[in-house]
Amino acid sequence: MALALENVSKHFGSLVAIRNLSLSFDVGSIYSIIGPNGAGKSTVVNMIAGSYAVTSGTIRLGETALNRLPKHRIAQLGVSRTYQNLRLFDGMTVLENLEVCFFPQSWLTFLTGAKRLSKAERLEICHACLAEFHLSDVADVLAGDLPYGRQKILELARAFVTQAPIVLLDEPAAGLNHTETKDMAAMIAGLKREDRAIILVEHDMDMVMSISDRIDVLNYGELLCSGTPDLVRTNERVQEAYLGTTEELDDIRKLAQSRRAQGGLRANAGIVRH
Amino acid sequence: MGNSVIARRLGLLAVLALCVVLLALVPYFPSYYVRVVDSILIYIILAVGLNLVVGYAGLLDLGFIAFYAVGAYAYAMLASGQFDIHLPFIVVLFIGAAAGAIAGILLGFPVLKLRGDYLAIVTLSFGEIIRIAINNADDLTNGPQGIAGLDRASLFGLPLTTPVHFYWLLLVLAIIVCAGVYYMERSILGKAWRALREDQDVVRGLGINTTTLKLLAFALSAAIGGAGGVIFGAFQRFVSPESFTFQESLLVVLIIIIGGVGNIVGVIAGAVVLVVLPEILHFAAQYRLLIYGVVLVTVIVLRPGGLVSPRFNLGFIIRKVRTLWLSPSKT
Repeated sequence: MALALENVSKHFGSLVAIRNLSLSFDVGSIYSIIGPNGAGKSTVVNMIAGSYAVTSGTIRLGETALNRLPKHRIAQLGVSRTYQNLRLFDGMTVLENLEVCFFPQSWLTFLTGAKRLSKAERLEICHACLAEFHLSDVADVLAGDLPYGRQKILELARAFVTQAPIVLLDEPAAGLNHTETKDMAAMIAGLKREDRAIILVEHDMDMVMSISDRIDVLNYGELLCSGTPDLVRTNERVQEAYLGTTEELDDIRKLAQSRRAQGGLRANAGIVRH
Repeated sequence: MGNSVIARRLGLLAVLALCVVLLALVPYFPSYYVRVVDSILIYIILAVGLNLVVGYAGLLDLGFIAFYAVGAYAYAMLASGQFDIHLPFIVVLFIGAAAGAIAGILLGFPVLKLRGDYLAIVTLSFGEIIRIAINNADDLTNGPQGIAGLDRASLFGLPLTTPVHFYWLLLVLAIIVCAGVYYMERSILGKAWRALREDQDVVRGLGINTTTLKLLAFALSAAIGGAGGVIFGAFQRFVSPESFTFQESLLVVLIIIIGGVGNIVGVIAGAVVLVVLPEILHFAAQYRLLIYGVVLVTVIVLRPGGLVSPRFNLGFIIRKVRTLWLSPSKT
């Protein structure tokens, strides 16, 4: 199954957030969408998930056009996501946060029970998922009481528990410290599967470069460059738009590294846009 | 098995026995007290029903009494000389619940996109619209005079006339409603409602149709309200629009807030407090609203979560009893 954006544009009033963007994502790979702040990365995620209506163009999952469907239908077809700011159900337990993903999807299944998972099956899947994400010990803890890092992992687990073929991760490393970010990167890399496409929006370059099969760089709502991490790293237009010139970049890297040595700042905390 | 376990089991048995004896003794109370208990039970049924919408799904509904009115008028029109239709009580009970559910869905559709204050205002208006419509539809409802002389109800050949008869009916119905709502609370439906209360957008992002979820909450809660209304009609044998004012809606919401939102035990406690309080303070009837206000403010200041802690819920009690009985070593 493949997800494709065909000439997609998104306008917010007079602001053009995305201009004629065409991208295609096939299962079996990890994709990263990067770009400076305001480049339109989150807009792309929100359009795919159905939170924003596209202004023009089509988003297709396989043969199905997604961009006229309501949000819950898109999710039912196999698109799951995480959010830039944590959005767990804080007043429910960790286990319940996963269980609720298995709510029957239509009146018919709800009333007849056909194709509907039994409670035991549901719990078995959820417990297996908790084990996979190292959350079994906190299954009965309220999600809001977890430390931040584990909340991030729970949100990740919630996006994967239904085995959706398309998973959108909106800044999974935001707010995590260096070690947690490395663990998160390893965890996401381990979730790569033949029947699943993972699409990542992320600022942490170490993470993006280490786990992506393809990187799409956006700038001012347009595709600047697309390719393997090595290709993107050496592309001059990307460096200019996103990272500044090579000399500046080296200075910033050094600064960032010395700061990280001091207090554990994010690697790109010092990077500014020119 | 230690002595302490036996002592605790005996204690538990004593508490249970006390409850049963109290409930069994109610019919021997003077008629006035039986009526008060009946009233408490009706408000428990209403508040537990409304709690589905307010407590679980997190949608503030200030027009709940409209569904109660729909049920009461269903009995008044289908079991009286008004149109000379005399359906049996049990049939009207189901019709009233169904009519309530339909009214609930009718209210649900226009308010689907509203949240918080806006939802509260529209539901409040809905409650008033129903009351004013009843007040003006003279041909159907006799307008402000109301409908009198409703049929004496009977259930499976047993007469339903005295407060004691209604006490047994209401007690059984209250237990059924509480058990049903408790079951729903623990099912995946209840979890989806609680998730809806926390973050509607994320719930949609999980592939759940929030429209269905909200309408289901409105319909089920309104059906309980409708059934309550039918019993009210059969009990009073007289209905008029005056019984269904905004104050009644407010009272049901207050019961939930004062008792403990989303907690069946809390709602029961709230109903007891808010029904008994005005009876005790009968001599100060004109200060009733003032007293409600003071009680509400006091509870919100001292116990913002309601009189009953959210942890002390039906699930907690059932777990406690079960562990004490099956594996006392864990307690």
